[in-house]
Amino acid sequence: MARVLVIIPAYNEAETIVQVIGKLHARVPDYDVVVVDDGSTDATARLVAEQGIAKLLRLPFNVGIGGAMQTGYKYALRRGYDIAIQCDADGQHPVGEITQLADAVDAGKADVIIGSRYVADSDYTPSFTRRVGKSFLSRWINLLVGGGITDTTSGFRAMNRAAIAVVARNYPEDYPEPEVLVILHRAGLKTAEVPVNMLPRQGGASSIRPGRAVYYMVKVTLAACIHLFRPHNGPKQGG
Amino acid sequence: MEEGAAQGFQAIHRLGLLGVSLLLMTLVLELVRRGRLKERYALLWLGAAGGSLLVGLFPAIIVRLADVLHFQYLTVVYTLSFLFLLAIVLAFSVVISLLSERCRVLAQESALLSQRLEELERRHE
Repeated sequence: MARVLVIIPAYNEAETIVQVIGKLHARVPDYDVVVVDDGSTDATARLVAEQGIAKLLRLPFNVGIGGAMQTGYKYALRRGYDIAIQCDADGQHPVGEITQLADAVDAGKADVIIGSRYVADSDYTPSFTRRVGKSFLSRWINLLVGGGITDTTSGFRAMNRAAIAVVARNYPEDYPEPEVLVILHRAGLKTAEVPVNMLPRQGGASSIRPGRAVYYMVKVTLAACIHLFRPHNGPKQGG
Repeated sequence: MEEGAAQGFQAIHRLGLLGVSLLLMTLVLELVRRGRLKERYALLWLGAAGGSLLVGLFPAIIVRLADVLHFQYLTVVYTLSFLFLLAIVLAFSVVISLLSERCRVLAQESALLSQRLEELERRHE
């Protein structure tokens, strides 16, 4: 039986974090859960510790979502997990479907499995501007990785050991999801998707504020491109 | 050319330049001596101070350069200073990137290590 770790990065998610961990633990008690507290100023870390289900990694200050997520992957690598799944702390990711991701990785369908909000039977409708931005970004990323990914911004993902080793060493700092796909592609790893239903966010605010959307687009577009010209990192040695 | 030098580079300019470069050099060396400035970054500044000292001593360098480029000599001075500042700011951006990268890695290590330590402590209780 594969050892599975669920990584939940959390920045001021006291409203929802305990509930998310609770649901996860009830659904998949075999999976280990690690919460990466990214310098929260609210009760997030205390609540997680009191609940006592998840392991808790506390960053001494806010390093941003990319650095927090990578901390989780480093943990997965060092503790020798077979599969790592990243999951949001705000309750948007459907915990019930998490086994689908892990099972697809376990079955060797690909090195990375994305829970996609767009393929077939999922009913997710983002706002108009989000749709335009995401559609452009999606085309760009697909161009770079050779196509086949409908949801490039989904943060609901599972990775096998080879992919964990790559992201533990190289992970973008902010708005990492699309860029990671390029990094993994450059490392020679395969990505596939399974459909999932996203839920409306249950609390907290999106990490992508409207004013930052332009920065997001420009940064990701250029950064993704630059990865093509970097010497690529295969999944061979540990991080 | 001698005429150009006489017209363009007046004694007061030379004195000012010499004064400023000597001051800069002293300041940089003093900062290094007190350990407030690392040698590797001091080299950039010493180079700049040395360059302007050289120009103060031999203004013909600048005047000749201005002749060749068809610039006013002051334009040459400004251009050189601007290029130097550009280089040093770029060097700083590189250093800041390196430091923030190291800072992130250290924060991650700290989180991983303290979790591990807490786990070990719990096991020994």
